Amino acid sequence: MNRKTFSVRLIGILVITLSSWALRSGEALAVDYADEVQPILKRHCDRCHGESAQEGSLVLFRRDAVLGVADSGVPIVVPEQPDRSLLIERVTDASAGDLMPLDGQPLSRTEVNVLREWIRDGAEMPDVSGTEHWAYQAPSVDPQALRQASQRNLSPIDYFVEQKRIRSGLPSPSLADPATLARRVSLALTGLPATLQQIDDLQRDPSEENYRRLVDELLASDAFGVHWARHWLDLARYADSNGFQADQLRSSWAYRDWVVDAFNRDKPFDQFAIEQLAGDLLPDANLQTRIATGFHRTPTCNVEAGVQPEANRVQQVFDRVNTTATVFLGSTIECAQCHDHKYDPFTQEDYYRLFAYFNNTPLEVEKASGVRFDFVGPTMDLPLTDEQAARRKQLQKQITSLRAKQDALGGEDRFQAWRTQVSEALRQGRARWLTPTPHFSSTGEEPFQVLDDQSVLLQGNPPGSTEYRFSYDDLEGPILGVRLDALQHDDLPGRGPGRGDAKRTNFVLHDLQMRVETGKKRHLISLADAKASFSQSKYDVAGAIDGDPKTAWAIAPKFDQPHWATFRTTEPVDAPRADQRLVVTLDQHFGRGRVIGRPKVSFLIGPPETVGLTDEIAQLLGKATPLEAAEIEQLRTFFLANDPETRDPERKIRALVSRRDRIQPETTLVMVEQPESRETFVMRRGDYLSPGEPVSPGTPSALHPADADLPPNRLGLARWLVDPDNPLLARVTVNRFWAEVFGRGIVATPEDFGTQADAPTHPELLDWLALEFQSEGWSVKSLLRTMVLSETFRSSSVVTARAAELDPDNRLLSRGPRFRLPAETLRDNALAISGLLCREGAGEPVMPFQPDGIWRAVGRNQPQWTAAQDQDRYRRGLYVVWKRSAPYPSFVTFDAPDRAACTVQRPRTNTPLQALVLLNDHAYAEAAVGLAQRMVLESGSDDPREVAAYGYRIATGREPSLSAVESLLALFESQSALLAENPDLVDQRIGVLPESFLDPAFASGADASEAKRRLGAWYAVANALLNLDQTITLN
Amino acid sequence: MPYVLPTNRRQILQRAGFGFGSYALMQMLAQESSVTAAPAVANPLAERPPHFPARAKHMIHIHLVGSPSHLDLFDPKPELQRRHGELCPDEMFEGKKFAFLRSRPTLFGTSKDWTFRKCGQSGIELSDLMPHLQSVADELCVVRSLHTDEFNHGPAQLFMLTGFGRFGRPSLGSWINYGLGTENSNLPGYVVLITGSVLGAGNSAWGSGFLPTVYQGVEFRSQGDPVLFLSNPPGIDRESRRDVIDTVNQINASTLSEVGDPEIATRIDQYEMAYRMQASVPELMEIESESQATHDAYGTTLRSGGPGPGKPSFANNCLLARRLVERGVRCVQLFDQGWDHHGNLSGSLPKKCQEVDRPVAALIQDLKQRGLLDETLVVWSAEFGRTPMAQGTNGEGKKTSAGRDHHRDAFTLWMAGGGTRPGTVYGRTDELGYSIAEDPVHVHDFNATLLHLMGLNHERLTYRHQGRQFRLTDVHGVVQRGLLA
Repeated sequence: MNRKTFSVRLIGILVITLSSWALRSGEALAVDYADEVQPILKRHCDRCHGESAQEGSLVLFRRDAVLGVADSGVPIVVPEQPDRSLLIERVTDASAGDLMPLDGQPLSRTEVNVLREWIRDGAEMPDVSGTEHWAYQAPSVDPQALRQASQRNLSPIDYFVEQKRIRSGLPSPSLADPATLARRVSLALTGLPATLQQIDDLQRDPSEENYRRLVDELLASDAFGVHWARHWLDLARYADSNGFQADQLRSSWAYRDWVVDAFNRDKPFDQFAIEQLAGDLLPDANLQTRIATGFHRTPTCNVEAGVQPEANRVQQVFDRVNTTATVFLGSTIECAQCHDHKYDPFTQEDYYRLFAYFNNTPLEVEKASGVRFDFVGPTMDLPLTDEQAARRKQLQKQITSLRAKQDALGGEDRFQAWRTQVSEALRQGRARWLTPTPHFSSTGEEPFQVLDDQSVLLQGNPPGSTEYRFSYDDLEGPILGVRLDALQHDDLPGRGPGRGDAKRTNFVLHDLQMRVETGKKRHLISLADAKASFSQSKYDVAGAIDGDPKTAWAIAPKFDQPHWATFRTTEPVDAPRADQRLVVTLDQHFGRGRVIGRPKVSFLIGPPETVGLTDEIAQLLGKATPLEAAEIEQLRTFFLANDPETRDPERKIRALVSRRDRIQPETTLVMVEQPESRETFVMRRGDYLSPGEPVSPGTPSALHPADADLPPNRLGLARWLVDPDNPLLARVTVNRFWAEVFGRGIVATPEDFGTQADAPTHPELLDWLALEFQSEGWSVKSLLRTMVLSETFRSSSVVTARAAELDPDNRLLSRGPRFRLPAETLRDNALAISGLLCREGAGEPVMPFQPDGIWRAVGRNQPQWTAAQDQDRYRRGLYVVWKRSAPYPSFVTFDAPDRAACTVQRPRTNTPLQALVLLNDHAYAEAAVGLAQRMVLESGSDDPREVAAYGYRIATGREPSLSAVESLLALFESQSALLAENPDLVDQRIGVLPESFLDPAFASGADASEAKRRLGAWYAVANALLNLDQTITLN
Repeated sequence: MPYVLPTNRRQILQRAGFGFGSYALMQMLAQESSVTAAPAVANPLAERPPHFPARAKHMIHIHLVGSPSHLDLFDPKPELQRRHGELCPDEMFEGKKFAFLRSRPTLFGTSKDWTFRKCGQSGIELSDLMPHLQSVADELCVVRSLHTDEFNHGPAQLFMLTGFGRFGRPSLGSWINYGLGTENSNLPGYVVLITGSVLGAGNSAWGSGFLPTVYQGVEFRSQGDPVLFLSNPPGIDRESRRDVIDTVNQINASTLSEVGDPEIATRIDQYEMAYRMQASVPELMEIESESQATHDAYGTTLRSGGPGPGKPSFANNCLLARRLVERGVRCVQLFDQGWDHHGNLSGSLPKKCQEVDRPVAALIQDLKQRGLLDETLVVWSAEFGRTPMAQGTNGEGKKTSAGRDHHRDAFTLWMAGGGTRPGTVYGRTDELGYSIAEDPVHVHDFNATLLHLMGLNHERLTYRHQGRQFRLTDVHGVVQRGLLA
């Protein structure tokens, strides 16, 4: 129905303007069909008796049908005779058959009365049979009305609101006092309370001009963007985790920061929309516009084992389509997933044409291994942070300088010197392993046998612990190293190498010593560079030469094989002289026979320069004939890789490079198009496994046509949405902003502007705002400025008796806004009042205090909640990490959604659990200590009365009444008495605040304990102040 | 500053010896007030009459997270046992979607170590794995023909518990809370108790979706504060808390008289209720006060043979459920994690059964002895069933001994009390337990029936959102008369 042509309403307006005298007496006017009756019929009857269904062939939207008769022959509506009208009978009298509506709550008494009144007045309704719903018509405003407003120097907002108020017999409200107004406008625009200076300033000069100056100051503050991003992120279902079983954290906060920034820069709303929907497809796409596409990378993602990646993708596309329609069209098209929309003009084909726009992004679930799945999908690198870049630069500098040094070292001279030296050494022979025959003994005195390979086979009962001694009289030199083999043998239990038992053939070697003995004199040879075939965990071979009798080398669980260990002497050792012996001892005192069954000891002997040469290199160096170029190169490569002077810097460089490369940019989730388009089909019953007809991207046929030259991709869709011919976008958007500022939308169902929606309470106002929004270049700041400058916003929120009776919900704006603050604002407000708030923003989400056990494992890679101890503890609520399966608990209690789906309007409840949060949550207890500190330190007074009054002012922005001060004082006094008797409670109270936030005045000093006791008592007062209705309410 | 001492209202009230609600305050303030304030906003949790006389006043809904193998507990299949080890017939695998099974699996009969027994007068066949449950067989109304739409845990849990396989819809308990309100204003109307980790659907399993958040389930935790933020912060004793609340309510009352916003009156009441909850909830959680016989019957972890004193346990939660229902809580929901036995069924299932068998049976008996079973609906729920085919991999895809995959086409749930038909088996699956042979009951039908037992017409219990009337059962659901007493 086209309400613009509705004559009754126009007459109504004429009547109003002509007869405002009659209205002052509060006389109600005739019931208006479009405003009052139609919404009732739509809400209760339309499902079965509307355009799409006519149960019992009864139709309630066409005039001729309504004035006709039912199947039974009974007239449906008899003008002026409600008691003879079947319509009234069926909704009031159960004895006439099932009480209507069959499928919902019965009509309220008020609603029935409206219907009765309307019939009694003659049942006027327009004679239209069209399907044209008001929201699909272009917004328009009667120029006459605007002229009148301007003549009276009224904002159009105030004009339209006044018209409605007068028609309803409501008096004009008075204006709110300056203190209340300053706090109200600050909370409404920035989500933070006005400072005392701002309040004082407006009180001193409450002029229009000064108020305007305050508004501009607030609009320009960075807090503005943080506040409005909260609202937008509910719509964007932004969270920091995947949702579902695993619910791992994901990194997309760059998108959140982009939203904050966009509001702060007042990015025109049409551009704001385009970049979020298609920032990647813009001709001048850049880093920022790509980050913006994070808007549609927020859907939940199920990576539980056994999931179908394609099913997950389809669900995500459904979510994108539904969210796009809700946010930018105020339409709920979800129904059309399975069938044509029952009430609104969207077909199932329309739905899948929209689906086609979003059907071209990659899968986001990928099989990792077995049945394990991971969240994947396109991410984009962000630029390095300044800190990262600086760190990187510093590491690079170190790398460059080391490289230069190394180049200098690797010079030809060094190489040639090495060549000569080693060649000469090789003439003495090459270092090699020799296994001389030992003189063996064991402290266990067990029998043994020296085998042909010079290994020693131990026999008899294995001792619990023992020390083997290998002694040599006659050895060549220089000795460079020692090697121990622990061999197997058929005679050993389980073939060895240990003697303890046949199953676990482990041995434990606590100490290997090598020494030169001259008579009784022992000279211990220092060993290093321990290597082994294998070391048991916590039994590293290095333990055998560290001189610590507790550490040892062992080999579990690699029992069934021989093992070896080698050690280098730190200096070459000369061959023992005739009066000397070289001795190697093996101390094994673990017990239970964990001793080596067949040890063999060998020595590395020869010129030290020749150690580590490969046969090939040794051969080249020993060659008498000149070498070829390739052979020299081979030598050089070997030299560079093995020379400690060049090798060690090389290792250092490699470590630095890996540190440098670990500095990776943060990433964010973005939309990208696949090169190959997916084909889109209508899904029968919404099931992706039952494809129907193929469809191509396109916009719903009932809405404004798309320009032919728009590309058939998301960018085309975005440009179609912001087309000035779209009647929905501006209306839907201004209505949402209105609802945030005034606590209630002009259309009370901001998520739905379809035919089932509530009619706007002030249709002309809605249209005027929509047009104004567009003509002001889609400026959100300008829209909000217009709203808060209106008298409607500046009105007192006191509920008069008349308003309570005629306008209990403030639908008619008979008073200024008054509502409990949203969850995040509530916390921000408390932190600001307490002086703890950290205004810094951006970057990774933060973890403030939360009770233990909220983040319980619901999957793998479970991150831990580690409460910040620094400023991050008091960052604004927007930055608190949002985990979908367990969002921040106090936010949930105050109606925050889990952000698993698009939320247009949060409920606003009033529950005992909320009282428990504000009274007891540590976060609020900390805020109470902070506030108490401010009260004591800033009030600059020793008079408790003044301290209390000051606290009240900080918390509520207003001067307290005498009785309020008296109440607070009584609390202070009773608490002071309590603390005097129980001094232990003082530290318990103050201790909730991390010490670094405690003012030095209370931390130390001679007066500290008295100061602390007073602080403890003020803490209780601050706790009360933070719980006051006035503190937690925008009023 | 000159200061006139007004009458000290606190002292008057303290002399009266108790806290006060908004009504008392309003009376006191009536003479001082220049503005007639509207009365307190209607309490959204106030008790409301059902659509028709209810059979059950309370519900204890026990959801076994992961879904137990109904084929080994409640739906005996001798033919499946006989054909154990055969490749499953083609039609049971080809063209079907499973969470894990990727190649044609073999049939998997119930282990020969586990026997079914005809129990009680009714002769309901139940597995020996649940001997205590066997002893209350005559109270049970077993539905062997459930089927659902989803076969992954998260979506299936949402579907079973909110009637929709994705996030955003109100849960069963919140619908009931919305429909009926609560009897005991000192406790929430819908309480959730959890053992093990939280299910994949997360808080949404007991969330309120688009219903006002007052209707969502409130978790009573077994460690830390039973209700979040219930206990006072350090250094605040009960008297100080009273002192602070009195101050808040006094000042709020005077704001109310100035401003007239009825929300303030509601807020004053909520602070009083919060204060009362601080006493009533700990009292409720103190199961130590129960008799030794009761502890023994439930097998709680405080005394008797439980796994360790003081530890949270399913048995404790069953006992708490009875205490909650006794105190008028409308809906109590228990979640128990650990029933997703893809592999090692023979080891895991008996262990889990041992944890729940005794307490569940004790709960039913206890309710009956106290005359509460008639008005309390007990539900054994799971998100789906398990396949009659074997699966031999664990969650990481590694080989294990056999278990069963998710199965959405046929599974068993049961109810007891609350106007259900006792000693009944309803519905039948085919001889292999794969499909439903008789009387299928869809999740929507089951939920419609639960609401019906609570006195609610699932087609009339609606909430307007996004331009249409939403309900738990979408546009489906038929009350299953065969399940009613």
